[in-house]
Amino acid sequence: MWALAWRNVWRHKGRSLVAGGAVAAVVVFTLVFFGFVSATKTGMVEVLTSESGHLQVTHARAKEAQDFDARLIREAAEVEAALLKALPGAHLRRVLEVPALVSGESRSRGAVVIGVAQDEALAERFGREYLAAGRLPAPGSWDEIALGEALAKALNVELGDPVYVFAPGTEGWGAAAYTLVGLLDFPQSAYEIQAAFLSLEGAQELAAPGAVTRFEVHLDPERGVVTDARIEEARDRAAAALGPDVRVETWREASPDTAAILDLMDPAMVVFSFFIFILAGLLVVNTIYLGLVERIREFGVIIAVGAHRGRVMRMVLAESLVLVLAGTAVGLLVSGLLIASWADGLHFPQLDEVLAEYGFPAVLYPSVTAGQVAITVGYAIVTALAAALWPAWVAGRLEPVEAMRHVA
Amino acid sequence: MKPILRAVNLEKVYESEGVKTPALRGVDLEVAPGEFTAIAGPSGSGKSTLLHLLGCLDTPTAGETWLGERRTDQLDAVARANLRLREVGFVFQAYNLIPVLTALENAAFVLELRGVPKKERHEKAMAALEALGIADLAHRRPNQLSGGQQQRVAVARALAAEPRVVLADEPTANLDSKSGLALIELMKQLNAERGITFLFSTHDPRLLEHVNRIVRLEDGRVVADERVA
Repeated sequence: MWALAWRNVWRHKGRSLVAGGAVAAVVVFTLVFFGFVSATKTGMVEVLTSESGHLQVTHARAKEAQDFDARLIREAAEVEAALLKALPGAHLRRVLEVPALVSGESRSRGAVVIGVAQDEALAERFGREYLAAGRLPAPGSWDEIALGEALAKALNVELGDPVYVFAPGTEGWGAAAYTLVGLLDFPQSAYEIQAAFLSLEGAQELAAPGAVTRFEVHLDPERGVVTDARIEEARDRAAAALGPDVRVETWREASPDTAAILDLMDPAMVVFSFFIFILAGLLVVNTIYLGLVERIREFGVIIAVGAHRGRVMRMVLAESLVLVLAGTAVGLLVSGLLIASWADGLHFPQLDEVLAEYGFPAVLYPSVTAGQVAITVGYAIVTALAAALWPAWVAGRLEPVEAMRHVA
Repeated sequence: MKPILRAVNLEKVYESEGVKTPALRGVDLEVAPGEFTAIAGPSGSGKSTLLHLLGCLDTPTAGETWLGERRTDQLDAVARANLRLREVGFVFQAYNLIPVLTALENAAFVLELRGVPKKERHEKAMAALEALGIADLAHRRPNQLSGGQQQRVAVARALAAEPRVVLADEPTANLDSKSGLALIELMKQLNAERGITFLFSTHDPRLLEHVNRIVRLEDGRVVADERVA
């Protein structure tokens, strides 16, 4: 039956090539799209977690608190020690965010002064990604500041100029003067216009000695793939070690909207590709139905010599399956080659800024999972069967005598 | 000897857009096993309709059809398909081979429908092709065969399945007279050697010289039933 179906499919090469080609194109499109969606998703998670960590530790009431001091984790050293004990090998970024007024010699602007202390690996990555000029404030320095390029421009200051910070109502000095040592280029312009960076110690002296507002925990990828399960397990361990005074959240819990969008990408892709397959299915229906109409007499003979209706219907379904699976095989081969050719990453330099602005990775590494291939092949099989149902039903209901008298 | 085919007061009326056209008007016929019988008559006399009804391809408006001991006119489509598959061989006027299959595969097609294993069905099909003198054409497709050769393949398809009876509807109509005569002689030879029952329709008087029995139809009625020595 399969050999007969294969030969019948190729009786009209042009028509079958168009339909099979459409199926192949849809398979390529689907798998490449799956690959890009996966790459985008993975890249966005990497961008997000490299910026804010896999886990965030904040004061238990930080989200509800209106006042600056209510958001402070005052025993930062103790919390840090407990965190490192619970999560050995994790990289920590200690952050103290202070709402402040930042001024140059002639202009002022509301900003968020961010005191940061981080280990060398995180500092090196932060500098590599965002430093546009100069350097980051030295660890422990009390008089160095780095500004977002947009903020520096707004304040009309350049490297080496003095910058004044006022943080009234806080628990430290409340005001201090710094030297601008670095300019930072952030992809998000809204962030760049309000970000001012100090060393953690400098920020603590300014606003809250010994305190932080947040710990960012970066799990070590060398200790295994950082999966959601690993992050959740780390969260549970950290939460158990730190007690109820602090809140430990995964990046998903800290950024629920982003997580929801990322989670929607795969289902959206599955639904989208389903509709694309429907379009290809229409071409297959056309091919199979025309093949039936042109061979009504032949089907009449087949029924006359004793083929049951079920057998005739299976013959039509087999033709559709052969056509679609041949197209699918070609599509799998082409998409496999395409995706393999992008194994070293796909980079669009002219889009770097736009992509970064929206949190997309600059370099994409498309890949597909076995599950995505299975979904694509499954869609192809469903398309083949659905496309052949009506022609098969028509063929199965042919009366042999009438069919043999049929004139096309 | 009990008949292998029987029609009892058989009637068939075709109806199209409210217009009724009687094709058979009370035909009685019995065909004994091993007979080589022609149904003769002009176009529109009901020859093909009679063959279709006897071969379970269609159901009568009234009357009975029998295949051996089994009454067939009341069977459902599945049972009729089974009977056609197991007990009846068909040869059609327009050869009606499957163009994408070789002669051997065409000859083996009914056996394939029966689920016979490939090796066995190809052996039987090849034997049928040999019997019809076209074994050397086994691997050609229909478009590489002459009309006479294609019709021999069609006969081989009917014979390979070893049916109880072969029904042939105008098997020589599309052949030149030489090929037509050769085919009839071949069928007659198979009838004589293997005892296969042949019932075929024709309106070619030259072919009637080669049969044992001639049933003449006119306007849907049997007007003569002649035994030929």
